[in-house]
Amino acid sequence: MIPIILAAAETHPPGFFEQFGVDWPHFLAQLVTFLIVLWVLKRYAYKPLLDMLEERKRRIAESMAQAEQIKQELAKAQEAREKILGDANKQAQQLIDEARAAAARQGDQRLQQAIAQAEQLIAKAREATDLDRQRMMAELKREIGRLVIDTTAKVTGKVLTPQDQQRLAEETTKQLAA
Amino acid sequence: MAAEHAIPTHAEPLFSIGPLAVTNSMVVTWVVTLAIVLVVQAGTRRIKLVPSGVQNVLEFVVESLYEMLEGIIGPHFVRRTLPFLATVFVFILACNWTGLIPGFGTIGWGGPTEHGFHVNTPLLRPTNADVNMTMAMAITFTVLWMGWYVQAQGFGGAIKHLFAPKGGMHGAILFVLVPIFIFVGLLELVSIFFVRPLGLTVRLFGNIYAGDSLLEAMGGVLHFPFNVLTLLPFYFMELLVGIVQALVFMLLCAAFTTAAIMHEEEGH
Repeated sequence: MIPIILAAAETHPPGFFEQFGVDWPHFLAQLVTFLIVLWVLKRYAYKPLLDMLEERKRRIAESMAQAEQIKQELAKAQEAREKILGDANKQAQQLIDEARAAAARQGDQRLQQAIAQAEQLIAKAREATDLDRQRMMAELKREIGRLVIDTTAKVTGKVLTPQDQQRLAEETTKQLAA
Repeated sequence: MAAEHAIPTHAEPLFSIGPLAVTNSMVVTWVVTLAIVLVVQAGTRRIKLVPSGVQNVLEFVVESLYEMLEGIIGPHFVRRTLPFLATVFVFILACNWTGLIPGFGTIGWGGPTEHGFHVNTPLLRPTNADVNMTMAMAITFTVLWMGWYVQAQGFGGAIKHLFAPKGGMHGAILFVLVPIFIFVGLLELVSIFFVRPLGLTVRLFGNIYAGDSLLEAMGGVLHFPFNVLTLLPFYFMELLVGIVQALVFMLLCAAFTTAAIMHEEEGH
């Protein structure tokens, strides 16, 4: 052990830089390489990537703000739609009521017209019946008068004068009317 | 005997480009750099609002780091400091995990020893097992940190922040304490320009070098294929160490930055 220490002491001990092979050319070569890596990463990695991350963050925030705005607009549109629907329903109900009332009025009018028409028809029919009846009665009276005259003439066996015929006809008519 | 098989503490030169001797750790650094460039290009060449594939992964990494650092540094300064801090994390992690690929330290030039063939000059060495690399990152941080410090406090504010008495003292006590605060400020300067960078440098180097040495040692305990059993638990541990050290380096830098940009009224 001691000889080793003595031997080490006798020889010139290498300094830190010598021991670890540090010298300007190698130090500068490694420094330049490291600076190249630093420049490449800064120029081609960090800047574009951080800009892109920033841009993405901005777009996401923008999209979220837009989504919020759309949500609010949708809520407003929904509200407006419901209002319009409510108004439309109200108006439709009003129209239906009016139409129903108008229909009811029109129905009544039609009914009245129909009734009036029916009554008119009935009246006309009655009138026609009366006329027919009167005509028939007149014919009947005439026929009966003639039969009475014929019968009377046959029964009495005499030829009735026009005065007799007139009288018989009047009497028959009178009795028939009674 | 142990010294014979130990991994050297420095990177080994493999070939030369002009006056520059290219070391095995530099080769790995370039490969990792190329891989990072290709992945970034694949992920961001046609960047889309709706992400997919590699862009998705990159976004996940960047967003996670951004949120983590925003929590430490605050929303105002994070965009300015993120490029360095996130790069440190990504680069250290990529280098650390690349260093676990089988072949690191075992493929290279060597010769027969009494214990069999031994690789003296490995073709590949973990990037962070080279002090030049860890020091480059620590010194880059120190320079950037100074810029952020002055930006946040102003030049006069930075000097005041370092040397002025804190705690809102008045009167005679202030004159007594001024030399003490100046001394504390000088100590702070030593910490900023020496202790912190050295700490960052050595911590990362030490962990990765130790991990590499541990895997080398565990691989030599038994002969193949039985050494898989001794290696496997340490591989998982090194996976963990790889991400933990990347996080530690980034979080320490973030913590130093937060302390620098914080105003006195916020900090106390």
